[in-house]
Amino acid sequence: MQQDAPIGEVIESSTRQFVAEVYEEVEVPAFGSWVCVEGEGQNMLFGLVSHVETGSYDSNREAVALGLSSEERAEEMPMVQELLRTTVRAQVLACRDREGHVRQTLPPHPPDIHDFVHRCADEHVRALGAPFDFLRTLVEHPDPAVPVDDLLVAVLRRTYEANGAEHGGREALVTAGRALSRLLDDDHERLQSILRRVL
Amino acid sequence: MLDISQLRAQLDEFQDYEASVRDRRVEQRRRARAVLASCDEQWPKVQAAVEEAQPRRLVAALQEAPRTTTDAPARPTPITVVATDGSQIYPDRHVDPTFFLLNVSRVGFQYGTQEEPLLDSVPRLRFEDDLRDHIDAVLGSMTTELVSALRDEMELEHLLAAAQEEKIDGRPLVALADGTLIRWMIRGMNNEAAEDALIARYTDYLQSFRAAALPLASYVSMPATTEVVNLLRFMVGELDVASPDAFAVSPSKPSLEGLLDRHVFDSVLAPGQRSATFGSTSHIQRAYPEGSEVCYFYLKVPSTSGTTEMARVEVPRWVADERSLLDRIHATVLRDCEKGDGYPLALSEAHERAVIRASEREAFFRLMERRLRRAGLSPTNSRKRRSKQAPRV
Repeated sequence: MQQDAPIGEVIESSTRQFVAEVYEEVEVPAFGSWVCVEGEGQNMLFGLVSHVETGSYDSNREAVALGLSSEERAEEMPMVQELLRTTVRAQVLACRDREGHVRQTLPPHPPDIHDFVHRCADEHVRALGAPFDFLRTLVEHPDPAVPVDDLLVAVLRRTYEANGAEHGGREALVTAGRALSRLLDDDHERLQSILRRVL
Repeated sequence: MLDISQLRAQLDEFQDYEASVRDRRVEQRRRARAVLASCDEQWPKVQAAVEEAQPRRLVAALQEAPRTTTDAPARPTPITVVATDGSQIYPDRHVDPTFFLLNVSRVGFQYGTQEEPLLDSVPRLRFEDDLRDHIDAVLGSMTTELVSALRDEMELEHLLAAAQEEKIDGRPLVALADGTLIRWMIRGMNNEAAEDALIARYTDYLQSFRAAALPLASYVSMPATTEVVNLLRFMVGELDVASPDAFAVSPSKPSLEGLLDRHVFDSVLAPGQRSATFGSTSHIQRAYPEGSEVCYFYLKVPSTSGTTEMARVEVPRWVADERSLLDRIHATVLRDCEKGDGYPLALSEAHERAVIRASEREAFFRLMERRLRRAGLSPTNSRKRRSKQAPRV
């Protein structure tokens, strides 16, 4: 499958989640968007971006307020940009095996450090559709540092867009909403709050 | 282990001592200002008298009225500023084989533009056979003085290279070094041939800056130099040589001994101003080629917290002789200090890039040990070093 240019590289890795450093010149993947890491053969891991962070490269040096406009900062303190980096943490929720089947479950192996990370194309996101088993992992084993409902809003919005938005996206959203309703034990208020924020 | 409770009485004594020193300084400064004012009026005569008397101490050479002050001009923009700094892992006599490591950073900023900065560092591993080609005479005695001298040389070498690489036609440039350009510390290795070789190589780089018309300056933070004070002391007859009676100034007390140049200029300069430019009479200067002898001025550096700090900026004579270059350096250093909260931004960035962190140092030693062991050349760590690394209960 033809891939876009990588957006970053894995710098921390486990079967549950990975952290990737995003290259300076690329647009940072959004919270709730899907990224993938291609392993050997047909293997591919799919991760949901659940945390985006920008900070100093050097743990000994903190960013401080400078009181400069971004132009002034670039012109007079050119090292600042060089010292910053953006990382994303992605929860691994699905993988594709050698035969090309996408399974909405954790992979047998974590990605390798320095593996390239790509944005998922719409067709990948559509493959992560019904029966939406990944939603179960998200709801029942959430990353404790991430408000899970906000992540659900973001991922459902991405599902809606990848399925054509107003031209067919609604159907996928209804299916996902049903799956979510069961997972939330028919907590309608919570479900409504999530769906309200999707559209 | 430090037993703080035992220090209490000693700290009391220290506090009393500091208070008395400060009182004395106030009086000394008052007198120094009076002597400086008198020197200002007749500086050509004073300079002639110093040259005649040849005192043993280092006395600032006057090139203009010493009380001259200059306000900071505006820094040109865009401007290229390059800087380097170095660090080292000194040879350890508890480790065999002997080697040392130098690490020099290179910083290049194109201020006033959004062009990419140069930010990197260059490590160089040095050991005896490497040195043998350069300086035969110092074999077997890798002292910390030698390592420091080689580091300073490497800093200047890379500063020159960075300036040449970063220079853009039609854009002004300032190359900024850390510390003094006067290599007085090289003398004292008890090996004249080695000292001469080191000085010759250092001054070759200085000459290359001149040949390429790359204005060089070095920044000395909180300088402990006393050359201007020595000049004042010469005038009031406190040095080993007699001074002409014509220079007698009141008040006649206290002695100026112990006063530093920065104390004097702290009360002469307003924040942001630079002093007159003086010539260095350091003996090592005789080995410097004509045009690259070191001159210097003092600069009162403000910081955001409202405090000020005195700095000494050294430049080769060819730079000092051109007022526009002095102005450019003054403005650039000052603006860089503002951005770096009292210390030039380019130099503090160079420092950050040059420093070898404890974890990197450990990684380097592990790598070296593994390489030597694999080659069947296992390094020997003395028992003392090992016991320091892993103290036992």
